[in-house]
Amino acid sequence: MRPFVYIEPKNPQEALAASVANSAAKYLGGGTNLIDLMKEDVERPAELIEVADLNFKEIKATGKGGFLLGAMCNNAETANHPEIRKSYPLLSMAMLSAATAQIRNMATNGGNLLQRTRCPYFYEVSMPCNKRAPGTGCGAIKGMNAQHALFGWSEQCVAVNPSDMCVALAALGAVVHVQQADSGMRTIDFADFHRLPGSQPEKDNTLQPNDLITAIELPAPVFSDHYYYLKIRERSSYAFALVSVAAGLQIRDGAIAQVGLAMGGVAHKPWKLTAAESFLKGKKPSAQNFEAAADLAMREARPLSDNGFKVEMGKKAIVRALSQAYERTA
Amino acid sequence: METATSSGIGNAIDRVEGRLKVTGMAKYASEFFVENLAYAQAINSTVAKGKIVSIDTSEAEKQKGVILVLTHLNAEKLKAYDEERPVLSVSSIQPVLQSPEIHYYGEYVGLVVADTFEQAQYAARLVKIEYEKDAPTINFEEARGEAYKPNEQSDHLRGDIDAGMAEAEVKLEATYNTPIEHQHPMELHAIIATWDNGKVKAYASQQMIDNAAITIAETFQIPKRDVRVIAPYVGGGFGSKLHAKQHVILAVMAAKMTGRPVQLTVTRQQMFTNTNLRQHNEQKISIGATRDGKLTALAHDTLSHTSTYEEYQEPCGSVSKMLYNVPNNRVTHRLIPMNIQTPFAMRAPGEATGSFALESAMDELAWKLKMDPIAFRILNDTQTDLSNDKAFSSRLLKECLRIGADKFGWNQRKMTPGTNRQGNWLIGYGVSAASRAAPYQKTSSKVLLELKNKTLYATVQMDATDIGTGSYTIIAQTASEYLGIPVERITVEIGDSLFPVTPGSGGSWGAASYANGARMACLNAIDGLKRKLNSHDKAGSIEALMIDNQVTRYEAEGTAEPSEAFKKHSVYSFGANFSEVWVDKDTGMYRIKRMVNVGACGKILNPKTAFGQIIGGLTMGAGMVIAEQSRVEPNYGNFITRSFADYHVPVNLDMANIEVVFLPEEDKIANEMGVKGIGELGITSVAASITNAIFNATGKRMRDLPVTPEKLLTAAVEEIS
Ligand SMILES: Cc1cc2nc3c(=O)[nH]c(=O)nc-3n(C[C@H](O)[C@H](O)[C@H](O)COP(=O)(O)OP(=O)(O)OC[C@H]3O[C@@H](n4cnc5c(N)ncnc54)[C@H](O)[C@@H]3O)c2cc1C
Ligand code: SF4
Repeated sequence: MRPFVYIEPKNPQEALAASVANSAAKYLGGGTNLIDLMKEDVERPAELIEVADLNFKEIKATGKGGFLLGAMCNNAETANHPEIRKSYPLLSMAMLSAATAQIRNMATNGGNLLQRTRCPYFYEVSMPCNKRAPGTGCGAIKGMNAQHALFGWSEQCVAVNPSDMCVALAALGAVVHVQQADSGMRTIDFADFHRLPGSQPEKDNTLQPNDLITAIELPAPVFSDHYYYLKIRERSSYAFALVSVAAGLQIRDGAIAQVGLAMGGVAHKPWKLTAAESFLKGKKPSAQNFEAAADLAMREARPLSDNGFKVEMGKKAIVRALSQAYERTA
Repeated sequence: METATSSGIGNAIDRVEGRLKVTGMAKYASEFFVENLAYAQAINSTVAKGKIVSIDTSEAEKQKGVILVLTHLNAEKLKAYDEERPVLSVSSIQPVLQSPEIHYYGEYVGLVVADTFEQAQYAARLVKIEYEKDAPTINFEEARGEAYKPNEQSDHLRGDIDAGMAEAEVKLEATYNTPIEHQHPMELHAIIATWDNGKVKAYASQQMIDNAAITIAETFQIPKRDVRVIAPYVGGGFGSKLHAKQHVILAVMAAKMTGRPVQLTVTRQQMFTNTNLRQHNEQKISIGATRDGKLTALAHDTLSHTSTYEEYQEPCGSVSKMLYNVPNNRVTHRLIPMNIQTPFAMRAPGEATGSFALESAMDELAWKLKMDPIAFRILNDTQTDLSNDKAFSSRLLKECLRIGADKFGWNQRKMTPGTNRQGNWLIGYGVSAASRAAPYQKTSSKVLLELKNKTLYATVQMDATDIGTGSYTIIAQTASEYLGIPVERITVEIGDSLFPVTPGSGGSWGAASYANGARMACLNAIDGLKRKLNSHDKAGSIEALMIDNQVTRYEAEGTAEPSEAFKKHSVYSFGANFSEVWVDKDTGMYRIKRMVNVGACGKILNPKTAFGQIIGGLTMGAGMVIAEQSRVEPNYGNFITRSFADYHVPVNLDMANIEVVFLPEEDKIANEMGVKGIGELGITSVAASITNAIFNATGKRMRDLPVTPEKLLTAAVEEIS
């Protein structure tokens, strides 16, 4: 590792001030991603600002029927919280499919939103990669890209966001709470939080420099009865998704009243399936409708040289996730 | 506290060193305390072929704590290979940093030695190297034409393949691929080296002590007696630690040049590029049988790759030579020199990969014949090894298959694929036969008997290693058996080149060799003592004899080696694997639900450690199917899989309920104690039992490993009428 300074601010203001004072500083959550990347020489912060101990550790009701998840709560506490299990089982299921128990014990909710892509070119500093070293080219687009994007990619970058939690948050329609450099607060809709690579793949999200994530807000629960997180991967646990689907349904009078549908492993951001969602709304939860929705969802797919299989896999996964969600009774 | 004692062989006792391991007291290579230790970090090339044109070490050298930056410009001159692409053996020399040439991505190009590990690691990143790049040979398809017939010959031909195929009424020609895999033992390769007045001492994580000493001595051209290698505990090897690799030489060189002891640990990423691998094998099988199922011909032609500077060839066809009664047989191996590090033995070299091809083909042919795959194998059983016309010393393959079928509930299997369904799952059963040579080797050992408070204690020494397999335990059990004292009074000291020479741990010969070596030392001690004391008491205990004669200390050595009878026979362990696999009908996901393994592998010294070997083997065999695969980047030649986050080995959730059965077997031809190899039998043919089950579930033939969700999803269902 390269030498760095480590500080433990007492409050968010101190953390923000430290970040403003050093443009090469980074916040440190559980460190499960950042420290790994430092060992790989991919991230080279000159200063680490410990934020995992800051006081954003609560999981509480919002008063608007929703819930607020503290950014510094760890993934395990969040996924296993009785209220979350009861009202947002889709989120629990997605979070518990990620990584390992040990990593979930360390990983914070804030850090999870900012975990970086697993593109192997990004990880190997001798390879070209626009995300790691802007302007060096994208190694994956002409190299190995079986794990890469189907949607929303650019010539500059075809990487995917690796988070499972974020796929569920996209389906649920969460909101991210942020404290800014001037200590002012701001919220960002989840759909706008992560970005597409465009010509600036080095930017994963729409945070401004120094922004500190303080909480994730969940809207009032609607998918607590019918939900499913399907994760297709190369082994039963401790592997990132090839393709994943978060599906939530609200069934009223035998029809789909509300639907939340998002995919992982297919884009630079958790991929919300808006067209499929609108198609399903008001329809009967039938195999036929699920298949039509899946076709609609994958219509815009632009496969790369190695990842054509994800189109078929994606369709199957959407249909399966929707039917499991429907058949599931809480 | 309980003071129960245990004795003798055949008991399922706990590992004698277990407590040391779980309490962290067992010391592995990099953990020894050595005064004034310096730390090293190796630097790897970032091109796959070419030449270093410049190196700038100034920035690195300026850093605090840095003692030495080693490159080809200032490295010690080492012995060089005297032929082009020599055959890599377990004791080959390992020249390193001898020229600016680059042969593969990740080749060592430098080493930084510093006062702390962190300083060395940081400074290593500051060394600037420029290369002149050349186009590397990294594409197997494109380089096919460069294949050559290797020097090390394991080809075989008997009868007439064309005639045999012409005679066949039912035939199959199929190609099976296994990818590059890596051994990846849990303990990283590591060494602490000291150079003291021309004498080398190395704490090194190696499977074979004596061979490591030879490699060091010959590479530096110093007498072997001046090299001491110590490895009391080794955290796994799977073949990657059979041979002392270049990092061993780097550390010794650094110790010599700095005058300080040097610790060098190979990183997990470097274990992809610098400590061997199993190469990609393309195996073509042509097989034919008469309508009633008698095999008439079997050809097994393997195309693999080696490096451009050393030759290694995995004998994939070895199983096809000897497993079945087939009169016409051809086995060939060809190699493509590629810009990838030299492959080397990985657990059951030849059998693990070869049995996947052969046992898949046997299943395919049985299906074409509409025969039960077990009946088909039994019909083609042989008690003679047709590749050398020697009788098998013992062979219970038929029994393994029959008993396994019974335990597994094979009669519940539906013959036609896709007909056993439950919800979204398709259920399949698969079987495969396993065989692995049991090559016992010359082994020496020393035993020291000591009487303390009228109680006999013994210390057994040999340069054996325990790579997690249970060597300590079975050596103690053997001494206990022959000396007639409990295991608790026996101290086993291994892993030091000062001790008598053994073949080390590898090739499934460890247990048989160590146990027979220990036995000879014990028998010689008893014999020698009785002769010395003029005792003719055959039945009396050795402890009583020493007490009666007031002898408090006695030492003896013994050597065991293969007998004439051994040489006149083919000595193998046999087994059968059964798997039940559930395949998701849509998504490409599958689960291995149940496995039964039956083995006939001689005398079981300790059912507990033996069981551990088999479960480990089954897991590694399942890993070959589930996901194990190292991918080479097509434009740059580096491994794109570079940590355990992308090189997937099975996790607990992937593994099935496992039942292991050992058939009782007496085989005194194998060796005096009747012990046969077991360390590699467990991995052999497991993969085929799983892919055969996938076929039975789905009608899809998976001939390329690993079977990823992607491949299973896109594979076509074969004509199944
Ligand atoms: C081997 C392995 C397997 C994994 N498998 C999976 C998987 O299957 N699915 C999955 O979803 N994830 C997986 N993960 C990823 C894991 O979920 C993330 O590493 C984790 O969520 C990151 O959280 P952290 O708190 O440790 O973040 P850190 O590593 O501490 O930080 C990550 C980034 O977030 C920034 N940051 C942290 N907190 C804040 C904050 N409050 N405000 C602003 N910035 C902040 C940091 O500066 C850093 O850039 C895996 C990780 C590993 C190591
Ligand atoms: S896909 Fe993105 S992350 Fe991967 S190499 Fe290309 S630019 Fe880098």
